[in-house]
Amino acid sequence: MKEILKALVDVIWKMPQGLLVTFKHMFKKPITLDYPKKKEPMAPRFKGLHYLERYEDGSERCVCCGLCAAACPADAVYMEPDENENGERLAKVYEINMLRCIFCGFCEEACPEEAIFLGREYEFATDSREGFIYSKDQLLVPHPRKESAFKRTIRRIRKIYGVEESR
Amino acid sequence: MADAVENKKNIAEGVPTVTLTIDGRETTVPKGTTVLMAARGLGIHIPTFCWHPKLKPMGSCRMCYVEIEKMPKLQVSCALEAMDGMVVLTDSDLVKRGRRAIIEFILMNHPLDCPTCDKGGECDLQDQTFAHGVDDSRFDFQKYRFTEGTEGSTFDDLRIGPEIVLNRNRCILCYKCVRANKEAFGEYDLGAYERGNIMEIHRAPGRQVDNPFSGNLVEICPVGALTNTDWRYKIRVWLTQTTSSICPFSSSGVNTLLYKDDHQQKIFRTTSRPNDDIDDGWLADVTRYGYQIATSPDRLQTPLIKKDGQQVPATWKEALEIINKRLNEIKDKKGRVCIGGIVSPSLDNATLHSFSKLIRVTLGSNNIDYRTQYRMLPKEPENVYDAMSARSFKISDIDDSDVIVAFGSDLVKEHPNEYLRIRKACNFHSASVYSVNPYRVKSADVARREMIYKVGTEEVFLNGLCLAAIEAGMAEGGDLKEKISPSTAAEAAAICGVDAEHLKELAAAMANGRKVTFIAGELVSRSRERLCISSALANLTRLLGLENKGQVSILPHYANSFGAGKLGLLPQPPEGIRNALTELWGAWPEAEPLTTDGMLINMKKEEVNGCIALGCNPVMLYPDREFARESLEKLDFLLVADLYETETTGLADVVLPLASWAEYDGRYINLEGRVQRANRALKPRFESKPGYEIVEAIAEQIGDKLYESSDQCEQEISRLVESSNVQPLPDKYFDVRPAEEESDEEYPIALFVGDDPHHSGHLTEKANSLFNFCGEAYIEMSSELAKKLDLKEGDSARVESKVGKIIVPVRISTTINNDVVFIPRNFSSTTVTALLMRKKRTDRVKISKVVN
Repeated sequence: MKEILKALVDVIWKMPQGLLVTFKHMFKKPITLDYPKKKEPMAPRFKGLHYLERYEDGSERCVCCGLCAAACPADAVYMEPDENENGERLAKVYEINMLRCIFCGFCEEACPEEAIFLGREYEFATDSREGFIYSKDQLLVPHPRKESAFKRTIRRIRKIYGVEESR
Repeated sequence: MADAVENKKNIAEGVPTVTLTIDGRETTVPKGTTVLMAARGLGIHIPTFCWHPKLKPMGSCRMCYVEIEKMPKLQVSCALEAMDGMVVLTDSDLVKRGRRAIIEFILMNHPLDCPTCDKGGECDLQDQTFAHGVDDSRFDFQKYRFTEGTEGSTFDDLRIGPEIVLNRNRCILCYKCVRANKEAFGEYDLGAYERGNIMEIHRAPGRQVDNPFSGNLVEICPVGALTNTDWRYKIRVWLTQTTSSICPFSSSGVNTLLYKDDHQQKIFRTTSRPNDDIDDGWLADVTRYGYQIATSPDRLQTPLIKKDGQQVPATWKEALEIINKRLNEIKDKKGRVCIGGIVSPSLDNATLHSFSKLIRVTLGSNNIDYRTQYRMLPKEPENVYDAMSARSFKISDIDDSDVIVAFGSDLVKEHPNEYLRIRKACNFHSASVYSVNPYRVKSADVARREMIYKVGTEEVFLNGLCLAAIEAGMAEGGDLKEKISPSTAAEAAAICGVDAEHLKELAAAMANGRKVTFIAGELVSRSRERLCISSALANLTRLLGLENKGQVSILPHYANSFGAGKLGLLPQPPEGIRNALTELWGAWPEAEPLTTDGMLINMKKEEVNGCIALGCNPVMLYPDREFARESLEKLDFLLVADLYETETTGLADVVLPLASWAEYDGRYINLEGRVQRANRALKPRFESKPGYEIVEAIAEQIGDKLYESSDQCEQEISRLVESSNVQPLPDKYFDVRPAEEESDEEYPIALFVGDDPHHSGHLTEKANSLFNFCGEAYIEMSSELAKKLDLKEGDSARVESKVGKIIVPVRISTTINNDVVFIPRNFSSTTVTALLMRKKRTDRVKISKVVN
C-alpha cells in the first residue's frame, strides 16, 4: 500500500519537475553546432592534415632526409628516397598513416627543408583503414601555398638570425 | 701512478719507454708512441678527422689539439711523439676554444646539406660539431661552391669512378682518402689540387677511381664528400640494422658488417669490421659490393625439374621425390659407387661436412672433391701438396717479417688483403719483398726485386734456390743435390730465364732473414705439376729451415678451401682425417676414390652415372670446357644446387635453389685455420634453402637421417677440426725432376686465366656494382705485343688454342710481359675455359685481329 502511494507522488509531483528542465532548454541557445552547415572557428595554430610544400618554381621541397620519420613519436611516417635525372634527392615513396598520427607537429618542426606542414584540413574520414594511409600524391600540393601560422614563425625566426631563405 | 705501473707490465722487455702525464694520470708507453695513442690507451678520447689507425699521421685537420705544459701553443696530438715528463691537458679551456675555432673554420665552406647527404647520421663532422662546435655562425659571406663539371644540377656531385661520387663542397680536406690510396693501396688515381679556398680533392686527370680497393675511400671519409653509388639515397643509416658476417669470396675470411632493413629483405651495404689479425679494416671491392649477389632478382626461385627436355618449376616435395627415385634407379642398375659429388669450397662447414656424409655414408661413394677449377690427375695422392697448403700461417705475421717472397701469385687478384699486409710491412717495417712470377704483376710495385721466370718452370726455380743456397754454403744440402735436377744454380737460372745473381740474392735473403714469409699462390695450386712444385717447395723449406723462422704456405683461394681440406672433402684425405671420420661415422666406403678429373673421365665412359654438384659450376670453371660439358651431358642423373641459373644448371635434371651465405648462420675456416662465423642477415630468398638443409632433406628422402640436430653436426666438425693438426713435413728430401715441355711454334703466346681484380668465382658478375667496374671479359696484353699484332685498346681479338677459339676485346696493360696474355674467367658471356686443355701444363694460344 505504502509503495503504491509513493509511486503516485512521484508521478504527480516529481515528473513534471524533471520535464520542466527539458522544456526550459527549448528556449535556450543550443550547445551543439549545426555541423556541417556551420563550423567551429579554429585556433590560429591548428594542426590538421599534413601537406608537402613546393618551391616557387614548382619543384618539390622534400628531399626525403628522414628526419620527420625520426622525430615522429607515433611512427606514422614511412619514406623511400630516390634520385632524379639531375642527381637530386627526392622521395619515391612518402606515406603518412593518419590513424597512427597524433598531430603533434614534430614533423614540421624537424623538417630542415620547410617541406612538410600541418594544414587546417580535418575532414578526411574514409571507410577503410587503407584510405587513411596518405601517399605522396595526396600530400603534395599542386601549387605552393602562401600562408600558415608556422610559416610566419619561421619567417620571424629567420629575421632574428638574419638568414636568407635558401634557393 | 697505478696506470703507469699497469701499462709498463704490458710492454715487452727491452723496449725503451717514456712516462708522461695526461689529464693528471701518469702513463708509460713505448718510445715513439704519439700523444693521441697514449691518451687512447688511458681511455681518454681526443676527437680527430684526419687520423686513421693504419695510416701515417698527417695533422691536417688540427682537431686533435692538446695543451702541453711549457709549450706556448696548442699541439696536434696525432703527430706529436710522447716524451718523458710531458704534462698533457686534453680538456682545458684553451683546448676547447681551439677545437671550437677549428670546427668553425671547417664549417666555413661546408654546405648545410645534411638532409640530402648520405653521410647524415654517421658523419664525424655532424657528431663533432654537436659535441665541440658553436651553435651560430659568424660567417657573412657566400660559401665557396665548386660547380665545374656539374652545371645544370642543383647538387654538385661528380661521378669519379664506377661506384664513387665526389662532392667537393662537403670535403674538409683531411686527405685521408688520398693518403690511404697512396700509402695503403699504392694507387695514385686521387689527388689534392690547387690551394686555399679553391683546394679540392679530385681524381687524377683522365683517370677513373676504379682501383680494387676504392670502396675503402668512401668508408674512411669523415664527411659525405665521397659516397657510394650502391648506398646513395637508399636508406638512412639509423633505419638499418647490422649483422656481423665474413667475406664469402676470399680465403682470408675478411670480417664484414652487413646493413639490412628491419624486415630482413634487403642488404644495403657492407662495411668493414676491423680485425687487426686479418684485414686491418680494409675491404677489397669484391668483398664490399659482393653482397649484391644475395639480393639480385635473378636468383633461382623454385626447384626446377626436367620434363620432356624442358626445365619446369616444381615444389620441393616433387623435386626430392624425383631425386630419390633417380638415385635408387642408378643404385639398382649399377651399384652404389657410381655417384660423384662435387662441392663448392665457398660453402660453410656444416654444408660441406653433411655433404661428405651424404656421399660417403648414405650413398656409399668415395668420389668427392671440392676442386673444380684446378687441373689434376684422375687419381692423385697429393700428400705433399695438401701438406704444403695447410701449413700454419698467420696473416698478422706478415707485418714483422723482414723477407717476404710472393711466388707464383698475382696477389692483388687472388689475395688482396695479404697484398695490403705486404705493402704495410714494406712501408712501415721496411721489409724486403721479392716477387717471383711468370709475368709482371701489379703487386710487384713494392718488391725490392722482381724476378720473372719462364712459363712453366716453377720447380726449376725452386730447385735453383736450393742449389744457390748450398753453393753459397748457407745450408747443408745432404743428399738433396742428387735428388734434384739441374745440378747447378747457374744452369737452373738459365732454364728459368732469370739472372743467376738474383737467384743467389734471393737465396741469401731467405737464408739470412730474421723472419721469412713465403707465399705461393694460385699459379702453383692450379698447375698440373703442383705435386712436383710442392715437393720442391718442401725441399726448400727443409733446407733453409723456413718453418722455424717464419711461415711457408701455398695459400688456398676460396672462403672455405682450408675448411674443406680439414673436413676431408678430398678423394683421399690425409690419414689422420680419414681415421677420425671413420671413427665418427663407423664406416668408410670401400670404393676407389676419384678426383673431379677422374669423375669427369668416368662420366664420359658412363661408369659414373649420377652426380650431385653443390654450389659449383664445373662447365664454366673446369679447365676444359667442352670436356666437362660432354661428360656431364652423358650422366643419367645430374643434381645441381646453385644461386643462379648457370651453364651447369642448364644440363641438370633437377635444380635446387641454394641460399646465399647471408641467409643462414655458417662457420668458415680461413687460410689461417681460424673458424669464423657469418651470421644470418636475410630470410632465404624465394624458396631457397641453405646447403645443409638441402643435404639433410635429400638424405631423409633416401631414408637415412644424417643428424638428429644441427648441434650434432657442429660437434662432429669441431672434433674434426680439433683433431687435425698441421702435418709435420717428412724428414727427407723429395725427388724433383722437372719434366721438359715441348714448345709449339704455332701457338707462341702463353695464356693465363684467373680472376679479374673486381671479381671472384662465377657469381660476382651478378653483382651490379662489380659489373659496373668490369662487365665483360678482356684480353690483357702488353702494348708491344698489341703493336706486333696490330691491335689497339678496345679492338676485338680472336684468341685460338688447339681446342677452341673465342673473341674478346683487347685491354692494354703496362705490367704484363710480351709473351703472356691474361683473360679473366668470371664472365659467363666469354667461355675462356674453352681454350684450355686439362692435360697441358701451360696453355698456349695465338692471337689475331678480327677484321670486320
